[in-house]
This record gives sequence, structure tokens and C-alpha cells, in this order.
Amino acid sequence: MSASQSAVRSRAEAVKASRTFDWLICFTLFFVVLGGYHIHYMLTGGDWDFWTDWKDRRLWVTVAPIVAITFPAAVQAMLWWRYRLPFGAVLCILGLLLGEWINRYLNFWGWTYFPVNFVFPSNLMPGAIVLDVILMLSNSMVLTAVLGGLSFGLLFYPGNWPIIAPLHVPVEYNGMMMTLADLQGYHYVRTGTPEYIRMVEKGTLRTFGKDVAPVSAFFSGFMSILIYFIWHFFGQWFNKTDFVKSA
Amino acid sequence: MKLLKDKVAKLSFVALLATVTASMFYTPTAAAHGEKSQAAFMRMRTIHWFDLNWSKEEVPVNDTMTISGKFFVFSGWPETVDKPEISFLNIGIPGPVFIRAGSWIGGQLVPRSVSLELGETYDFKVLLKARRPGDWHVHTMLNVKGGGPIIGPGKWVTVTGSMKDFKNPITTLTGETIDLETYNLDNTYFWHAFWYALGLAWMGYWMKKPMFVPRSIAVESGKADSLISSTDRKVAMGFAAGTIAIVAMSMSTTNEKFPVTTPLQAGLLRGIKSIEMPVTSVAVKVEDATYRVPGRAMQMTLTITNNGDSAVRLGEFNTAGVRFLDSNVAQDETGYPDDLLAEEGLTVSDNSPLAPGQSRTVQVTASDAAWEVYRLADLIYDPDSRFAGLLFFYDEAGKRQLITIDAPLIPTFI
Repeated sequence: MSASQSAVRSRAEAVKASRTFDWLICFTLFFVVLGGYHIHYMLTGGDWDFWTDWKDRRLWVTVAPIVAITFPAAVQAMLWWRYRLPFGAVLCILGLLLGEWINRYLNFWGWTYFPVNFVFPSNLMPGAIVLDVILMLSNSMVLTAVLGGLSFGLLFYPGNWPIIAPLHVPVEYNGMMMTLADLQGYHYVRTGTPEYIRMVEKGTLRTFGKDVAPVSAFFSGFMSILIYFIWHFFGQWFNKTDFVKSA
Repeated sequence: MKLLKDKVAKLSFVALLATVTASMFYTPTAAAHGEKSQAAFMRMRTIHWFDLNWSKEEVPVNDTMTISGKFFVFSGWPETVDKPEISFLNIGIPGPVFIRAGSWIGGQLVPRSVSLELGETYDFKVLLKARRPGDWHVHTMLNVKGGGPIIGPGKWVTVTGSMKDFKNPITTLTGETIDLETYNLDNTYFWHAFWYALGLAWMGYWMKKPMFVPRSIAVESGKADSLISSTDRKVAMGFAAGTIAIVAMSMSTTNEKFPVTTPLQAGLLRGIKSIEMPVTSVAVKVEDATYRVPGRAMQMTLTITNNGDSAVRLGEFNTAGVRFLDSNVAQDETGYPDDLLAEEGLTVSDNSPLAPGQSRTVQVTASDAAWEVYRLADLIYDPDSRFAGLLFFYDEAGKRQLITIDAPLIPTFI
């Protein structure tokens, strides 16, 4: 077979080879994203995602979507502009959640015995689905950043509320009131995470009374717009074929 | 010969792989907490723990034990460590093998951070409920913001039974009694599985079509728009609308199910009550202090003045949780950890009763392997080569007085 000849001899063979290639790329991409995104998210959102007594209505709501929209934006840039595949954000979140669940179950529970109901990860899927759909329907990075980024921030808290609300039921404990999540943090001893490290309920949003979460979510959505732009460009830049050509 | 060499090389490679793999799967239990690695001056000149008591040495799962005692927040707190203005009474155990059922300083529950004053002595108590069987080293511990964890003495405690029997019942303010160990677990699994399945469905919809090669060719040839059909758009809109509707509905039903929720509680507890320590009648001046490296002994020259009305004798020197006793004056009756107790480790050149109004200069030697074992000898490598500790004097009636000392330490190597 010379270099000018095709490696396949029929259309059926070509389709088969193409699908095999699809699965190989998908499998590899999934685990590469899982690894990179997981490390990134643990380094930037770490404790807010680890513990229920960090999942508050101010900082967790603000920080988690901002640091989470990074990889979805970059992977979207690659999959959409090169292949018109609108599942970059969902692929990232599927990878991240799988990695996180493996980590929480095997490490946090299996090795160090923290109950899973104290260390489960945040749910980022609703925002990811909407982000992918907006990119697909709009075919616009700007609209995806503005509408998708905002939605990513806004959907985060309500998307998690059904999971964390039961842990915000109050309890009286030795003469003090706390939530069940606070009590988990107090009961299940973390030698290296003293109470003062906890970054919750800090800030100056006091004029909004008890309705702080929507304000935090809007701010998070606004910041997610900016972060989306930056990481989308990262994705486009890394997605160039210049590197291959020069090699 | 070459064949033999190749075989040896192959076998060596296999052996190397086997060794690396075996080492990856070898995960022995981490029993200690690095207490010996903490800088000696941190342990000697920050928090002085004393009168410690571990109520039990063996506890069945679900049963409780307490650690109680006192700690003195040293007046000569080192400049290189932030002051304990934001601190947290913790417990040094390998993960939640116990749960912390309660902790008190000065009688006040301290689930949050506290502000402590230099020069004050506080009593404390930590109530632990056994959760996981095993032999665990249970330490007192105070975390200081800007200073890190300041670990105190530790004692081995055995937890017996089975972790699957552990229960953690809590009654909420809404009147429901739950087991915090498993509460909300099914709900968490359900929602995560549900959203994960929805994400997989979205991915599956696109993955069932040809993906990379044909789509790349289409995009490169300017036919990108043909890759998204009207059905694709309808499906996508369905996913987005469904997602938003599910989020809204699940939030609404959750609010109906849990009408009473409160934000996480946080804040600093100030005004923690300290112990009114009795006025001391003994004055001590450290004339000099040396640490003799080969002999693992610290020698101090002290001038002791008794201003009280009863003769006194020096019974104990306590530093970094290590207790050096003169057994003729004081004995431990609390079951203090053996490795931290030098029952005859304190020698005083003249420890006869010091009569009221008298003053005497004595040579005091605190010697024990603990200096080396607990790496207190490393003090000579610290940035601020000073030592500190507590001296306990006893009068004729057995009444105890606590005096703190703080002075430079000169090492001797010969």
C-alpha cells in the first residue's frame, strides 16, 4: 500500500474506523478533562465543595460557579468551533462529578470515615446543560457568555437546594442553635480544618436581610460571564493546529 | 550470554514493577500526628497543658469519654506566631474515629472559634463519642489562626465494637429525630444520580451520531450549519426547558417539605471565662539555663524566694507536655502517658523545704530521653532560642503553686 492509497477499502470500513476513532477520542477526552478539571476545581473551590458546613448562601454560591465555568468554556470552544458538538460543558461536569464521587467515596469515606452525607460534591449539571443548549442555539460566544454564564451562576443554588436544604434545618445543641450541617462540621472532627478557616457568611450583603442567596447568585453569574470569555479564548487558543503544523 | 543478560534485565524490570506496585498498595495506618515535628519553641512557649485527664483508656462504640484539664496561654508568646485572638479548641485524632459530642472552655460550649488572652489560664473539657474501632492516639489541640495547630499531649485510647453499630441521633427544632450518620443520604444519591443521568442523556444524544472526523470535514468545508438539524434544536430546547422546570419545581417542593431552614452559623466567641489563679507566694528567677546535648538534660540555675507562710519544695517542671517530677515531692496519679512522664526526671541540688522568707539558689536538672524522643532538643535550632515551662511547688499541706519561667537557653556540645 502506497502513501497515496486509502487505509480503508470501503465506505463501511471508513464509517467503522471513524466511529472507533470517535469512541477513542471521547474516552480519552473524558478522562483528561476529568483529571485536569478535578485538580483545578479542588484547588480553587476545594473546601466549599468538600464539606456541607461550607455550603452557605453567600460565598459558596459566589465562588463555586465562577471557578467551575472555566473548563466547560474551554472545552466548549474546542468541540463547538471545530466539530459543532454542543456537549463540552456537560462532558466536563460528567467528568468532574465522576472524579469527585470516586474521591469522596474512596478517600473521604473509605479511608478517613467522613460520612458521605457530609462530603458530597456540589451539583453543577443544570447550569452545564443550559450552557450547552445556549451555545448550540445561538452559535455565538458572546450570547453564550452573557446568557449561559449568567444562567450557570443563577441555577447553581436552586439546583443544589433540594440536596442541602435538609441539612439547614435548625437544631438546639447544648444551649446553642446551629444547623445540622454546622453540627456535622462540629461532630466529625477535622484536625486540619479548624472552624475559623471556614469562609461562610462573611461579607457586607447585610442590607438584603435574609435574601442574600439571589444577590450572591447574580454576582456569581456576572463574574461567570467574564470568566467564560477568558476560558473560551483559552480553549480556542489551545485548539489551534499551529502546533501540529510546526511539528 | 546475551540471552542470559536479556533475561536478567527483563526479570529485574518485572521485579521493579512488582515492588513499585506493592508499595502503592501498602497503606499502613497513620497513628501519630506529627507532634514531634512541630518546632520545639512552639510547644514550649505557646499553650501549656496541665492537669490533663483522659477519662477512659478503652471505650466501646457509641460510648463516651472526656478529656479535661487546663491550659495556660503563655505570657511570653513568641513573636513569630500569631496571638491566639482567633483560636479553636480541637482534638487531635486520625479523622472522625470519635465524634466531638461537646467541647467547653470555662464552662461555655465552644463549637466556634474563640478569642483567648495571653497570661490567662482556662479549664476545658472535650466530650468524645466512640465511632470507629481501633487504637487511637488522642491529643489535646488548639488551632491558632496564623499559628497553626498547637498540639498537646496525646494518649492511646482503644475503641472496641463495630462501626456499623454507631448511631448519632439528633432531634431538630422542628421535632424530628434523625441519625446524623446517614441522614439525607438517599436524597443526595437520588438527586446526583438524576442529574448525572440527564447529563448522560444529553451526551448520548450527540454521541449516537458520527462525531469527530465527518463533522470536522464538514466544518472545514464551510458546511457547519448543516450539522445541526431542526430536530436537534427541538431536543436542545426540550433539555433546557426541562432543566429549568425541574430546578424550579424541585426547589419549590423542597421549600414545602422543609419550611424552616436557617443559614449556617458562624462567628467568634469572645469573653471566654478564665480561671482565677491563686496569688503565688513563690518567686523564681532564672539565673542561667543550658541544654547539654550529649546528656539529654537541661540544667537551670534558679533563685527561689519563698514569700509565703509555709515551706515549699519544687515538685515538677512541665514543658511541652513533658512532665519531669521529683518523686520525693510529687507523683502522678492521673495515668498520664508514660512517654511524656519522667517520674524521676527532676533533680534539684537542694530540695529541702524552703522556709518562709528564705531565698536559695539551686541547680535544677531535667533529664530524660523525652528531650530527644520528642525532639525538644531541636530548640537549639529554633529562631528564638528560649525555653519556657511551668514549675510546680508544693507546701507542707500539699497545696500546689504554679510558676511560669521563660529564659534564654544555651546549648553545650561537650
